[in-house]
Amino acid sequence: MNFLSRPLDTTIEVVTPENIAFEYQLAGPFRRLPAYLVDVLVRYGIIVVLVITLIFVVGMIDIDVLGAFAIGAGLVSYFLISWFYGAAMETYFNGRTVGKWMFGIRVIDVDGCPITGRRAIIRNLLRIADLAPMSALPSVAMEMPPVLFIPTGIIGLISVICTRRMQRLGDIAAGTMVIVDEKTWRLPVAKIDDPRVAPLASFIPGDYLVSRNMARTLAIYAERRHYLTPGRRAEIARHLAIPLIERFDFVSDVDFDLLMLALYYRTFLADPSQEPANLGPLAGYSPLRRDQNRTVSIPT
Amino acid sequence: MNIAKLLEKRRSNWDELERLCEAMEVRGKTVKAGEQYRGAKGIVRFATLYRGVCADLALADAYHLPPATVTYLHRLVARAHNQLYRSGKFSPVGFFDLIFRDAPQQIFADPCVRVATIVFFGLFALSMYLGYQQSLFPDFADNVVGSEQLSALEQMYDQRIDGSLDHYVSMSGYYIMHNTGIGLQCFAYGILLIPCLYILAYNGVALGTMFGYMAREDVGGSDNFFHFVTAHGPFELTAIALSAAAGLRLGVGLFHTAGLTRMDSMRRSAHRSVPIMAAAATLFVLAAFTEGFLSPSPAPYLLKAGWAIMSSALISFYFVVLGFPRGPRRSPVRGT
Repeated sequence: MNFLSRPLDTTIEVVTPENIAFEYQLAGPFRRLPAYLVDVLVRYGIIVVLVITLIFVVGMIDIDVLGAFAIGAGLVSYFLISWFYGAAMETYFNGRTVGKWMFGIRVIDVDGCPITGRRAIIRNLLRIADLAPMSALPSVAMEMPPVLFIPTGIIGLISVICTRRMQRLGDIAAGTMVIVDEKTWRLPVAKIDDPRVAPLASFIPGDYLVSRNMARTLAIYAERRHYLTPGRRAEIARHLAIPLIERFDFVSDVDFDLLMLALYYRTFLADPSQEPANLGPLAGYSPLRRDQNRTVSIPT
Repeated sequence: MNIAKLLEKRRSNWDELERLCEAMEVRGKTVKAGEQYRGAKGIVRFATLYRGVCADLALADAYHLPPATVTYLHRLVARAHNQLYRSGKFSPVGFFDLIFRDAPQQIFADPCVRVATIVFFGLFALSMYLGYQQSLFPDFADNVVGSEQLSALEQMYDQRIDGSLDHYVSMSGYYIMHNTGIGLQCFAYGILLIPCLYILAYNGVALGTMFGYMAREDVGGSDNFFHFVTAHGPFELTAIALSAAAGLRLGVGLFHTAGLTRMDSMRRSAHRSVPIMAAAATLFVLAAFTEGFLSPSPAPYLLKAGWAIMSSALISFYFVVLGFPRGPRRSPVRGT
């Protein structure tokens, strides 16, 4: 696909072995930062639990040398957990850590394949470079410079902004990207309850074919019109509705919003072989300009 | 055409696929969705449904499906795809190949390894000499490490190694954490080049000075110090230099692209640095075991020195004999 024709969006296209191109939504820094913070908390939680267990066990079994061994073991496992927590979680839980799971994001290969252990290790080890440069609180820095370092993450942020797949340096090196993998799934189909839509749709000429772009526009409009006020709907719909009214030879006071819905109904919902809709009290109404002498138009 | 009807027809299949995806989320087993999906049956059903959704997505344009539905299909296919192609597990054969074939060749051929080794061991040896020469450079050790640090170091090695096991065991735990941490930091910062070289040089100088200082005749705890560090020294120091080299390889890939795009250059240098890092990790593990079991033990110094000589010989064999270039067939990923 041409770079220029691609819409400015945070989606990335992946072609699967089934030769299907589907889109992933990339996860930006505002999803990844909270996930990372949760992971930091979880990591320290695990370490605290481990230390408490060690203290408890050593306290139960009262042998002198064991205490030293426990300190050694505690230090080594602190080291292992703080460096390899992310890599182990991502390898064994299909690209997710606890934080990523909570925020509905996942790490995958840039080809759309799942992440392998090797890639997970690279991207997690390089995290420390992405968190650079370190800074310290000015007041604290005077007294104990090496203790309280706050990673600013500027390098990672710049890298995320500058790459098309929103990768930090670790992601680039490992060839991975972070995508949104949401759990909430609902299939949106716009419902049309207005009883005036079906009759109006039956007056749209049968030879009018809806193009692909038109169908897409109609669907987007029908899905989003709930968020708009009636005045705004008319304002948006008029650009399409006025030429269509001319073309269909309708009276000019047909509601623009209603006309769009009628087209949507005809394109997506109406069954061509269906019986003519039961018009009820609206029977005999026609929006056509040439019928105006015969019937009284009802206010729309 | 009636989309609502079409969607209604396909809807049940999509729902079923979603249920299966949910069931496979944690362990990849379809049986959680119901007894009828146990074993191969569930997998076959999943594959059928997945192909169906793929077909629906491919035809979405022709059907004029509304964009929201297409988005839904994209997500459903992505989700099923993630379950179908799950992350690969660790394979021992691949790891063996990586360690004993790719890594030494890569290490032998890579100039980054030479740079990192010269920086680290060069500064280490130099500052060791400067720290040792009490008469020529009396203030060097004090100025570099600090007199407080030095006296703390002396105090730490005050106790005899065969009498105080608990002291040295917890110390080796600390050193495993600390020194491996240095190695990993060197690797991570290597992508930015300068911080890596800084950390590497700093630690080379500091460690060298401490070694030199402890080697002076009049310093207390000197015997215990060498008793403790000799056995694991070769493994650990080499591992630090190697992991810095792996990091530098990444950084060189980022800044010197050799005509490739920056992305591709990074990926290729990552590919080249992985074997080096794997070798470094193996050395770190060996060092950790030595440090955990042999170093703090009251075994005679001869045994520890023997182990150090043997490990140095093994490392040399590994780098030079296994690493010697042997023609195009077995060569690893090469530079430009």
